[in-house]
Amino acid sequence: MALLVVTVTWGLIRIAPGTFYDSEKKLPPAIEANIKKKYGLDKPWYTQYFIMLGNVTCRTMAEDETTINGLQFNVGSSRVKCFDFGDSLKYEGQSVNEIIRRHLPYSAIIGIIAYLLALVVGGAAGLLAALRQNSIYDYGSMALAMLGLSVPNFVLGPILVLVFALGLYLVPAARWGGVLNLILPVVTLSAIYAAYIARLTRAGMLEVMRSDYIRTARAKGLNETTVLLKHALRGGIIPVVSFTGPALAALLAGTVVVERIFSIPGLGNIFIQSVLNRDEPLTLGIVAFLSVLVMLLNLIVDISYGFLDPRIRYE
Amino acid sequence: MKDQVIRHSLSMAVIGTLVWSMTGCMTSASSRYFGTTTPPSENMLRYVSGGEPESLDPAVSNSQPDARIYMSMYDALIEYEPKTMEAIPSVAKSWEIGEEGTEYIFHLRDNAKFSNGSRITAHDFVFTMRRGFSPELASRNASLGYYIKYSEAYNAGRMFVKCGDKFLLKGGGTSDPAQPVDVHSFLDAPERLTVAGDEAGRAKAFEADKKMKDAAAGCEFVPVKAEDIGVQAIDDHTVRIKLYQPAPYFLGLLGHQFFRIVSKDVVEKFGTRWSRPENIVTSGSFKLLEHRPYDRLVVVKDPNNWDAANVHLDRIEFYPLDEQATMLNLYKSGALDATYNHTVPSSWNETIRQYKSEYQLHAENASEFYVISVKKPPMDKIKVRQAFSLAIDRASLALFKKTYKPLVYIIPFGIYPKYEEAREKVWDEELKKQGSSLAEWKAREFDAEKARKLMTEAGYPVQKSGSGWSCPTFPVENVSITYNTNDNNKATAEFMQAQWRQNLGITIPLKNMEFKTFLPMLNKVEYSGFGRRGWIGDYMDPFTFLYLYYSEGNESATGWWDPKVDAVLDEANKTVDEQKRYEMLAKAELMVAQAELTIPLAVPGTSFMKKPYVKGLYPNPGVLHPWKFVYIERDPAKWDQDANEIMKISDPQVDREVKNLMATQEEFKAKQSAQAPAKTLESIHN
Repeated sequence: MALLVVTVTWGLIRIAPGTFYDSEKKLPPAIEANIKKKYGLDKPWYTQYFIMLGNVTCRTMAEDETTINGLQFNVGSSRVKCFDFGDSLKYEGQSVNEIIRRHLPYSAIIGIIAYLLALVVGGAAGLLAALRQNSIYDYGSMALAMLGLSVPNFVLGPILVLVFALGLYLVPAARWGGVLNLILPVVTLSAIYAAYIARLTRAGMLEVMRSDYIRTARAKGLNETTVLLKHALRGGIIPVVSFTGPALAALLAGTVVVERIFSIPGLGNIFIQSVLNRDEPLTLGIVAFLSVLVMLLNLIVDISYGFLDPRIRYE
Repeated sequence: MKDQVIRHSLSMAVIGTLVWSMTGCMTSASSRYFGTTTPPSENMLRYVSGGEPESLDPAVSNSQPDARIYMSMYDALIEYEPKTMEAIPSVAKSWEIGEEGTEYIFHLRDNAKFSNGSRITAHDFVFTMRRGFSPELASRNASLGYYIKYSEAYNAGRMFVKCGDKFLLKGGGTSDPAQPVDVHSFLDAPERLTVAGDEAGRAKAFEADKKMKDAAAGCEFVPVKAEDIGVQAIDDHTVRIKLYQPAPYFLGLLGHQFFRIVSKDVVEKFGTRWSRPENIVTSGSFKLLEHRPYDRLVVVKDPNNWDAANVHLDRIEFYPLDEQATMLNLYKSGALDATYNHTVPSSWNETIRQYKSEYQLHAENASEFYVISVKKPPMDKIKVRQAFSLAIDRASLALFKKTYKPLVYIIPFGIYPKYEEAREKVWDEELKKQGSSLAEWKAREFDAEKARKLMTEAGYPVQKSGSGWSCPTFPVENVSITYNTNDNNKATAEFMQAQWRQNLGITIPLKNMEFKTFLPMLNKVEYSGFGRRGWIGDYMDPFTFLYLYYSEGNESATGWWDPKVDAVLDEANKTVDEQKRYEMLAKAELMVAQAELTIPLAVPGTSFMKKPYVKGLYPNPGVLHPWKFVYIERDPAKWDQDANEIMKISDPQVDREVKNLMATQEEFKAKQSAQAPAKTLESIHN
């Protein structure tokens, strides 16, 4: 599956016009030829494709090959290397693997904190709304959720900067740094997720609260707290859990807009730049990494259903 | 150089407008400075440098934002003067130029050191050059140095033709085998013939030149080697450079990143990974402390540097970001001290320019223009092209864009005063000969009446229609205005479209595309009609703008070439006398201008922000700052008051330092003229 993604991506990059070395300045043919030779672009496309495929999956290494990229181990008498996306074309001397390793944590930290915040805020709001259906709490939190969904982060971000960084001088306006620097991007990022989670929780809980097994639980005389926490919540948050897989993948992968507004060196920013720079190995590396990540997270989510809802069992 | 403005493919219009319109409401222009204005507690500068640098290896990147970082980490033989960008001594304490203008001798100082403490010798510079031109490195900057003897041949993998013990010479004949082939006499000997390195290329050349084929029959082909290029170390502290032909701007060119010195030992030891933070060794006033890609690049003063006593900042933090709104937010909140050029969004210009002590708007060594694909009808008609050029109201454009000055020439004005004098003189004479006048040329800033007349003469009658004009016969479907996606470019394109509709009754469709898609289309002249273009000079000489139209494979992106212009340009560059050379360049400029290949629009302004306490950093024509002159002034009484006057007001500290640096060269020159001229040159040749 990941291989298919890589192949399609490779094809798309190749079809896209322009190269990584294009600039306003037209290069003399000799220099262009030197560049093509240096990066193996003078070989026929299918050779290039198979070289790329070999690097991305596994291949035996040449005797004299010294490399720091990828995963290396010995099979019999030959050394094998896997998952080597090579060096970035744009950033000379930096390997794709190290770039991903280096920038993933930034996105991951912001993404995970934002998602936790969204879970707490959104979950609480959703619960409140479901338990006090049609009350002022319900309408209030759902109105806020609606607002959170409809205000895009590229509007919310600048407003927060304006008020808290440039108006009140409470937090830095942008850039990576201490804990204070995290506040604005995390809040900006979590808003839409919190809103989504609030709505999902409310809907899920409302449905569960009306179901037969809750009536049974109440009928056998359990107190309301136990009913709520032990029985209802487990079923009610299933929609939230399904949402968590893709949402976490998207957050971990970096969110381009927030990363650019706050100038955070995360993976999303790098990904977009790599496409704009036509930095083929980097784009391929990130795409492959993300596709694996999405598959993995979805798998985890699928497995976790079984623990949450006794009605779901995997044979 | 790469125009960094257009890299903002991601620049989100909405964000920019939103943030700025909002901060606008909150900022009262009555406050003297824009946001927080407190010097950083440490002795440092926080500077936004543009996109993430491609590499810390100065030979690799050809972009201007990266050049600014390289200027802190690498010294060259010369350095730019902070205001004028003229060459001042750096690693070379003095230099002399041979009478024919093809030979340069540099005398290196003894105390120049790399960041690891080892000495910078002439051999390091020679190595830097040999590496720069090597085909394996594939530097995109290599063509800048092609005037150096055999450098192009080496870079392109060409070969000498050796017949027995003689080499074939360029223009016929063979070399004298009796001549000893030590490096010095080799470079002074007549130029050898070089042919393509591959069979196919050679066959093609021989096909075209029968005589050459006969002469080369039975001869062997010897690759041009790194040792053959015209850069030599005479001894540890003397470098000699030999050019094919005089290039008066060559000295100033040596400040370009391509010529900045790297350590032979370190590069040889670590190969392509020498510039990684754990291996890097630098030659500049500052050395690398920390590099966190896409976040920060911190350099600190290098105590080993030969001029460390005159380096004022302890450190510089470069922040690689190119989102204009974000960087101005940071600037306003006091987390930044200065930004790079073209970083003030035009929607915000009105507010920003009220902060007179901070907004830097001076003429840049650059020009904004539209190119025309001159081979495709109807743009193949010169009158049509001229009509389109005349129908643009450049004064309005300048007013609209806010950072522009109207331009009717190929070479920008306000940068080369002496050249401009020569241009006035030559153009006046030439135009009078043609029955026109310089005044008439200057009126090209906007002349709708004449534009309509020309269009009608070209066979596309412009008629009155209602309150406007119409030109029904013009084949609009064959042309378009092509530009790369960017708010700024879009605004200009729409302005052009409106002007032509208003003044000629022709509505040209707009076509925008992503930068990397746009570039090959432009360079291969695959567009039809008009293309957006901007050019930033690579060095401080008018030729950097005329170079675009030089040679058959020229970079003008118009599909045009005229050998007659080449001849004048060659002649000009062979002329040592400055005044005469300028006159010849002016003649060439007129020839290019009259071919109507481009629609000159404007000289862009530097347009950047700098806190008033940052001193020694000037909006010079290349916006390239020699960082060692920069310092933080803590006494508010001495802060900058008016950025418009910043280039005129002298800073005693900066002036004194420049003067001290120039002293070694002045001294050398004085000694030279007292003794026999060109003594070193002579002693080398004997």
